[in-house]
Amino acid sequence: MSINRKQLGALLCVVVVGIAVASTAGAARQGTPGVADHSITIGGTFPFSGPASLYATIAYAEQAYYGYINKTQGGVHGRKIIDITMDDGYNPSTTVTDVKKLVEKDNVFAIVGSLGTAPGLATWGYLNKHQVPQALLATGDAYWGTCIYQAKIPQCNGAKPWTIGWQPDYPAEARQYAKYILSHQSKPKIGVLYQSDDYGKNYLAGLMAGLGSHKKDVIAEQKYTSGSDPAGIQAHILKLKQAGVNTVVIFATPAYAIAALATEGGLHWSPLTMLNNVSANRLFMLAAESKGAMPAGVVSSTYIESQTTQPNLPGMQLAKAIIDSTHNNDLITDFNNGDNNIVYGFASAATAVDALKRAGANPTRASFMHALRSLNETGSNSNPFVYPGMTVKTSATHGFPMQQLKLEKWNGNTHDWKSFGSVINSGH
Amino acid sequence: MRGRLPALGSLAVVAVVLAVLPFVLSDYNTYLAAEVGIFFVAVLGLNILTGYTGQISIGHGAFMAIGGYTTAVMSRDHHTNLIVTMLLAFAFCFVVGLLFGLPALRLSGAYLALATFALAISVPLLTDQWSTYLGGTSGVQSSETKSNLWIYGAAWTASAVLFLLAWLILRGRVGRAFRAVRDSEIAATASGVEIGIYKTLAFGISAAFCGVAGALYVMASNGFAQPDEFSVLLSLQLLIGAAVAGLGSLWGVLAGAAFVGLLPNISTSVPVVGNDHGRDVVYGLLVILVMLVLPGGFAGLLARVRSLVRT
Repeated sequence: MSINRKQLGALLCVVVVGIAVASTAGAARQGTPGVADHSITIGGTFPFSGPASLYATIAYAEQAYYGYINKTQGGVHGRKIIDITMDDGYNPSTTVTDVKKLVEKDNVFAIVGSLGTAPGLATWGYLNKHQVPQALLATGDAYWGTCIYQAKIPQCNGAKPWTIGWQPDYPAEARQYAKYILSHQSKPKIGVLYQSDDYGKNYLAGLMAGLGSHKKDVIAEQKYTSGSDPAGIQAHILKLKQAGVNTVVIFATPAYAIAALATEGGLHWSPLTMLNNVSANRLFMLAAESKGAMPAGVVSSTYIESQTTQPNLPGMQLAKAIIDSTHNNDLITDFNNGDNNIVYGFASAATAVDALKRAGANPTRASFMHALRSLNETGSNSNPFVYPGMTVKTSATHGFPMQQLKLEKWNGNTHDWKSFGSVINSGH
Repeated sequence: MRGRLPALGSLAVVAVVLAVLPFVLSDYNTYLAAEVGIFFVAVLGLNILTGYTGQISIGHGAFMAIGGYTTAVMSRDHHTNLIVTMLLAFAFCFVVGLLFGLPALRLSGAYLALATFALAISVPLLTDQWSTYLGGTSGVQSSETKSNLWIYGAAWTASAVLFLLAWLILRGRVGRAFRAVRDSEIAATASGVEIGIYKTLAFGISAAFCGVAGALYVMASNGFAQPDEFSVLLSLQLLIGAAVAGLGSLWGVLAGAAFVGLLPNISTSVPVVGNDHGRDVVYGLLVILVMLVLPGGFAGLLARVRSLVRT
């Protein structure tokens, strides 16, 4: 049995590299992970590439906001916020690798603001096991709010006390659309277009619950598959029209929602149309209009301020100042055209900073979680970026920070949303 | 026998290094090394198909999906031991691979590649179709999750066992028949090789290997199986791994597995391009570079070096 020189060389290389890597990784682990004298390090995963990459502006906005806090307030409790973002391309198994790197190698204090339902589900078992906060997840599924209290429902897979979301959940949003339909259509004949996965089904279930005894008024359902060609949406909308519906409810991701609105426009058909707020970004509406949509009168909802219709609110002026200071021209253009994902990022980051402040001068992961479970952004402490009059609030028994919505209607003249009615509690 | 001794030497070196690594590496790097092991199994499997019988597949991620879901569903519903689920994934994917191999018999070259591409696209969508059992986009969570070290052990033990299995299959009659099919189907038929049987068999074997890799892949993803994990990109990654590996060399397969397993993680931390798009840019550039510099893959490089040393 002979080992030649080349193989011995290879072996030595591997061992040396291994030792080097191991010794750097093991260094400097004391006290609360991620918390140093002058900095606090958090991390998050986002789809900078792949099918959901249009949400990437959320991460850019969050980083801009942390930069602003670092510059104007010297960070939180004298510690600059360092935010390490990683691209998971919306692939849950990449998210797992990324989160392991953030926790085990970068020693982050917490995972904050990570985007996506499946990426969240892929990592919440791990993060809860290791007692690392999985804070302010950017997805509207109801799991994140329910699973500390109702750990026995199958989706929860055990209690998840280290996980919390932020935005109003999808079923609650759909219930509000049901209410609106019932109060504005005397004889509703409802057609629903939804994505054939849990995202779409959760919305649909919320709509049905909101309709109650009027469930039978849903006379047509059309589902499409995520990842299919958006051109296929035309056939679905035609079928809804042939079924004779007078109300169309769209529970779709942006590309498909745009195709649906454009098809209605092409048919010169204008039923009462409800659109889920994930797809109601002004940029997407403008894209739909350029493809022939005439979305005047489309109803959706919001929970954050609008940079285009409410530019004089203090929050929007602050947001504009921060965005302009990034000198990132793409970001500035998107913001000026009404990309509300940027406002979303600001609002979520503001809650993160609020919680970091209240986690104390010597924060621990537990004290941060406690702060997230006792949010009270009201009155003088209100979040500058959420819709005026709305609160961000949690308690030991209530795990949904945002539980209010404002309905809005698309104005065909201003080519923008116009909110109406009062702030609605969509609560659990 | 004399010619085989260096090969045994290489094996021994690899085995020793792999046994020592987890004691040297940090927990996170152990996890990365486990990922390399997982891709080792998959690239080894794909290599049997593309390298030995010359059939190209851009759809082996689909077999990883089937293996991965076998593990997740059995663990969720029956609390089956994860090792047992790996064996089930092997058997199940072997059967599915054979079945897919039958229609594939009529196709070759680019047409076969297209058919397998369809497989890569359609299999993850089945999870929506049968969402009651397969969880739809919410995925399936296994009943237990394992430590990085456990996954490392499982991945490399599976690698060793399957490597031995592949060696046993390829060294004798079957391996000769595979190579004959690859080099000339007409000559192979003339020599009495049943092309249909061997092509199908190669599909079954490579699918079974990828099934085991898929089972491990799900275990490494905190026991969570979800359709987005098995996108077309995964199949392409495997093909890249097989191309980087080249043909018929343990070192080649190791290099291919390390390439697809480690590069996405390393290329995120390249300073120039940054976190946001670093993965795609650096990864793409390196794939192009490797293909330009090493047209025969890593195995081709080794062969060239060897012939240089000898002359």
